[in-house]
Amino acid sequence: MANLFDFKLVFTEIPAILHYLPATIWLTLAALLIGLVLGLIIALIRINNIPVLKQLSIAFVSVIRGTPIIVQLYISYFGIPIALKYINYYNGTDYDVNAIPGIVFAMAALGLNQAAFDSETIRSAIQSVDRGQIDAARSLGMTGFQVLKRVILPQAGAVALLPLGNSVISLIKGTSLAFTCSVVEITAAGKILAGRNYRYFEVYCSLAIIYWVITFMLERLIKWLETKVTVPDEAPEMDEYGNLHIRKGKKEKVIPAASLGITPAASAPDKGDMA
Amino acid sequence: MSYIEIRGLSKRFGSNIVLDNVDMDIEKGDVIALIGPSGTGKSTLLRCLNLLERPESGTVTIEGRRYDLTTRNSKEINELRSHTEMVFQQFNLFRQRTALANVMEGLTVVKGMDEKTARETALYHLRKVGMEDRLFHYPKHLSGGQQQRVAIARALAMNPLLLLMDEPTSALDPELVGEVLQTVRSAAQDVADGTAKDIFEHPDNERLRRFLININMLETGEYAT
Repeated sequence: MANLFDFKLVFTEIPAILHYLPATIWLTLAALLIGLVLGLIIALIRINNIPVLKQLSIAFVSVIRGTPIIVQLYISYFGIPIALKYINYYNGTDYDVNAIPGIVFAMAALGLNQAAFDSETIRSAIQSVDRGQIDAARSLGMTGFQVLKRVILPQAGAVALLPLGNSVISLIKGTSLAFTCSVVEITAAGKILAGRNYRYFEVYCSLAIIYWVITFMLERLIKWLETKVTVPDEAPEMDEYGNLHIRKGKKEKVIPAASLGITPAASAPDKGDMA
Repeated sequence: MSYIEIRGLSKRFGSNIVLDNVDMDIEKGDVIALIGPSGTGKSTLLRCLNLLERPESGTVTIEGRRYDLTTRNSKEINELRSHTEMVFQQFNLFRQRTALANVMEGLTVVKGMDEKTARETALYHLRKVGMEDRLFHYPKHLSGGQQQRVAIARALAMNPLLLLMDEPTSALDPELVGEVLQTVRSAAQDVADGTAKDIFEHPDNERLRRFLININMLETGEYAT
């Protein structure tokens, strides 16, 4: 029974698996970017009721959310080459399907999947922004784009941060399915490694550790972003030297008077001017 | 010809005609209060003037420049909005920004001022409304009255020709109304000789209401002695 579980192997396999970490990271980053950009576009289309595009968006979101991601990966992997062949046939072009690396199909499928889910998160976050502040920004004379960039997105971003964080975490684990598009990322690498010595269980344990560590770091990152976008609970205080103290929970940040850009004369209340 | 002329302003929500061919003349330095029961279109009139609502018809002439209020030309809309500023019932400060940043926002983003000039201008106006010791407070750290004073500073910093105040004190506790009215009064005084003018709508201001009722009574002669 001694050799049933090789505890040491769980850790010694990790470096070999980590060799394929870049594939996992690139897949995640690409899908994240496609998801956020396309998700925002879809959300804006639906909020602004743009005809035709709105119906297309609703259909897209419904189909993507209604099908398993592994099916989407297969459709992307087999469907894009077929589409290319048709294009080549009808247009007389000569695009080479084999020149496209597998990771592109996986990025496309994962990215579109993210976009469908993120669009709903972003849409609800944008709709949660107080109309009054949008009115205020418009009456200041901001253009539609400025209102979006300076008022809507910062607030919607704060609302959407946690659910989007959730979706990135599940995306990272979703990349383990990219093997269907013949992409060797860490899960695929683990399976290949285990195939040599049949130590599958140990490799799966190694993979579990790797995914958990990545997710743990991501959780810290999200937590850090959260403190960045939340308004501190306590009002900032200014000491007698004009330095500003901003307290967030237990942490205190001090902004020196010099970098506030307020001259001492300006920060000292001129009582005569007040009334 | 008046300084600001509003002509033929009509606005309907569905079949409900809220404003029916409203004409109005405003002279430089006028402070006009619109009063009436809720639902009579006071807010709608103000919101049509800076195109937060799109009226069915109407024009406004400001300093001889005529604007069609039904325009869809965004350049024209922004130009009209640059002449008008609005103070809202619910203050509507930008929640993610400090008091100082709230006032600087329009100056840097819309007027294209550099940080330093914008900060100085913002400081000047925040000091005017007595908020200079709360520059780095976020809206949620401020009382309603303080938020409204910041909002007034934000509007005045843009140096508007027409200041629209939509029930600026009705969301405030009675004891906070005084400080905002004080600010409004000094703002009106400040701008009367300068550039800005005010329309303010304010049904809940007891003193103002009494004042206007008195005028009515004198006019109808019922209580005149």
